[in-house]
Formats: sequence, C-alpha cells, structure tokens
Amino acid sequence: MLKKTLLAATLLFAASSALAELVVVVNPANTNALDSKTVQRIFLGKDKKFADGNETIAVNQGADTQIRQDFDQAVLGRSSSQVSAYWSKLVFTGKGIPPKEVANDAEVIDLVSKNLSVIGYVDKASVTDAVKIVEM
Amino acid sequence: MKNLNKSLSVVAVAVLATFQAQADLRINGFANLTGGITSSDDSLYGYDDRVSFGSQSLFAIQVSGDINDKMTATGQLVARGNDSYDANFEWAYITYQTSDNTSVSAGRLRMPLFRYSASLDVGYSYHWVVAPQSIYAVPFNNIDGVQVDYSGYSGDLEYTFQVTAGKIENEFTLGGANGNLEIDNVISLTGEFTYENWKFRGVYATAKATFDIPDLDGPLSLLAQISPELSNKLNANDDTGIFYGLSLEYDSYDWFVAAEMTGIKIDQSFYQDESNFYITAGIRTGKWTPFITYEKSDLNDGPKFLSDIGGFPAPFQPALTQLVVGIQMPAISEDNTLSAGVRYDLDTNVALKADVVKFTNDISEEEDTLLRFAINYVF
Repeated sequence: MLKKTLLAATLLFAASSALAELVVVVNPANTNALDSKTVQRIFLGKDKKFADGNETIAVNQGADTQIRQDFDQAVLGRSSSQVSAYWSKLVFTGKGIPPKEVANDAEVIDLVSKNLSVIGYVDKASVTDAVKIVEM
Repeated sequence: MKNLNKSLSVVAVAVLATFQAQADLRINGFANLTGGITSSDDSLYGYDDRVSFGSQSLFAIQVSGDINDKMTATGQLVARGNDSYDANFEWAYITYQTSDNTSVSAGRLRMPLFRYSASLDVGYSYHWVVAPQSIYAVPFNNIDGVQVDYSGYSGDLEYTFQVTAGKIENEFTLGGANGNLEIDNVISLTGEFTYENWKFRGVYATAKATFDIPDLDGPLSLLAQISPELSNKLNANDDTGIFYGLSLEYDSYDWFVAAEMTGIKIDQSFYQDESNFYITAGIRTGKWTPFITYEKSDLNDGPKFLSDIGGFPAPFQPALTQLVVGIQMPAISEDNTLSAGVRYDLDTNVALKADVVKFTNDISEEEDTLLRFAINYVF
C-alpha cells in the first residue's frame, strides 16, 4: 500500500515537473548571445558584464521554490544548498553578493521587461511579449 | 600591540562612519555551534570527557556598505567560544574595485594561506565539522595590510591571483607555553586555477618572524653566556621565515577528493621545519554528505644546530646539548588525525554535522578520541 502511494506520488511529481518547463529570459532589447556557460557565470557572479559591456543583474526566485531548485540543478549543476554554500564563501570575504530573490514569475518578468541588464528564469507558460527567451 | 589596536580601531571607526553615512547596508552573519565530548580521560582541541560547546563555537555578524560605485567597506565582528564569546572586529577593510578583474583591499584581512582561509570560520561553506586543525590552526590567520586581487578566465580555465603585504601580530601557545608572535614584512603570492572539475592552488609567502616566549628567555640567556652565536640562532628574532602551500581538488558534485599540503621554515630559530597535509573525500547524496579526512603534521626532523656543538671544548658539550635540545623541545611534535563524519543540509542556510576524530601523537603514541556535532547557520 505504502509502495503504491509512493509510486503514485513519484509519478505525480514527474508529471508536474515535466509540465513546468524552465526558460531563461532577458529584455527583448538585449541582443547578447548567451549560452548556458555564460548564464551559469552570470548567476554565480563571475561575469559582471554582458558581451556588449552592459552590467549583468541576475534575479533569483525564492530558495524554497521548485523552479529555483530546478534552475540550480539544471543550469548551475548543483543543489540549492551547494549554491548557498558557494555564496557564503564569497559573501563573507567581501567578494560577491548573491542575486536578489523575488517571489514569482510575474515579478521576474516585470523586472526583466523594465531593465536591459536583468536576467532571470521563469516557467515557459508565464512568458509574455515583454521578455525574450534565451535559447541555450 | 597598542599601536596595532589603535590603527585597527581607526579602520573600524572609518568603516562604521561609512555605514552610518550610507543607507544601503548589507548585514549577513554566520554561526557555528559545535559541541564535543572525548572518550574518558582524553582531551583534544579543548574538549574533554564532558560535553562542552565553548572551544570551537562562534557567532559572527558582517556589515558591509558601498561607499560609492567602486568602494565597499566591510566589518566582521566575531565572538568566539574559546575567548568567552568576547566580540572582536577580526576583519575591517575597505575594498576598491579598480576594474572588472582587479580589486585592492586595505585594513585587517584574512591571510590567504590556505584553500579554505577566506571562509575558514563559515562552517556552512565546507563539509567538515571544523577545518582540519593540523593545517588550519595557525596563530597568524589575519593580517593588517593590503591585498590585490586579480581574477579572470580564458575558455573553461578560471584563475585568481592575490598579492598580500602587511604585518601580523598575535598571541599563541606552543607546547603549553604562551607567547607573542610578530611577523613583519609579510609578502604572499597566491594563484588559484579552476578547470572543469579540477581546482589547483599554490601559495608562497616570506616574512620576518619574531617569537616572544617568556618561558624560553631563561634558557636562551643561559646559552648566550656560553655561546651568543648559538643563542642567536635559536631565538626567533626578526628571522626570515617562509610559508608554502599546494592544494588539488576534484569535485564532480556527486563526490569529491581534495588534498592540501603546507610547510613553514624559519631556519635561524628554534622553530622546527614544519610540514603538514590532509586528504579528504566525500560523497554528496541528496541532503547527506558523508566524508573522511586523514591529516598529518610533522615538526619532528630532529633538533637543529647539534652539529654546531662539536666545535666547542668537550667539557661544555653536554650542557650545550641539553640547552640546545631543551629550547627546541616544545616545538617538536608529530601527529596524525583520522576523522569520519557526515553533513546534512537541513535547509539552504542550515547544516547539521557530526564527526568522530581519532588523534594520534606519533611521538608518545598516545591517542585521543573525540565525538563532535555542530549546527552551522548563515544568513
């Protein structure tokens, strides 16, 4: 019985995460070519400028959200705890400040649409004309 | 010491004044609550056979603020259990970002000696309960001076270089004797390279070291009556010292192996040629990170300057030998440490850890066993 419930839960989880497709978004006027390595560097604070010289401002989603955990695992290649440990090294040596966190997709889209420098990630279903999907 | 405190408080006041002038302050902090108990009658790192938390626990608050586009002031206030939780400004510095790749920091900084020097106090940043003491427990972790940082990348190779210069003053304990340490004209060069899963780091530093150990004053002046030259060789008074270190790490995120070795040499002093290393490995499986570490510390190359004694008349030799060996005895040690433990990521800012440590004194063959547990928190 327990096994069956677990199996059902696993299937449900797999289904829900398959439904949510994560995409990285920038301002439509941001014409810089971005690959996954560059996005990784920007979110780890290693690249502070885009190729055209504009400042990069990465925007994160809340640490306890599914999309953040998916992003950390898929794009940064490590768990959210490891990403947090990475930042704790930089913060306490004055070498970096982690990306600001916002509450949801709508806030990410709002910030990205208003500022050429902002880069974020949202569920593909939330994407509007105000932002551009980064093809990686 | 007075001057040093004065100059540090000037920096601290400058940092605080900056904070008051600026609205946009960043306040972060970290805490390690580390408890331990040894097996009966053992003692290690300040723990004994009753549970205690004092010796390796600490609480810290960091405040930083932007003075302008390019300048940041940072102050770190740390309260350590082994210092009755008296809070001290261990770091207070101003950083000037001269370009995208280069920054200059001045004030009181962490000395970049080791792989984990910068985040040594932030337990959350590494897997250990406490960083390997055979390597990391040095009394010269903070420096008053200037540091230039350069970082960049080329393809998949990332690199960082640091040049640090300044002065270190601290208290320390050697073989049970208390003393003061003054290290002047410190210059250190550090290079760190990351390529895919590999990380390599090298450091080389030179300085002029002065150890003031009241317990050694008597024997040293006694020796000076027979041979001022030998007494001069044995005392550490403005003598050239070098520090070197290498580390190599492979981290695939599912598992990791890392090794680090360091050495200290102060030829014209009683201080023994020191070489230490550790090797550590762990597996990251979900929220759990089980790990093991082996450490070795060696300050046991045999007493120095014994060959000098042969030049003295035979009747003097036994007394000379006794003094020359006796002065060096407190500095002689050799030990190894084996530990196994686990880290559990409770949250993205809280980790729980536990380990068992077996410390072996390779000279006396005495063993001490310690069980530790810790909560590491960052905010």
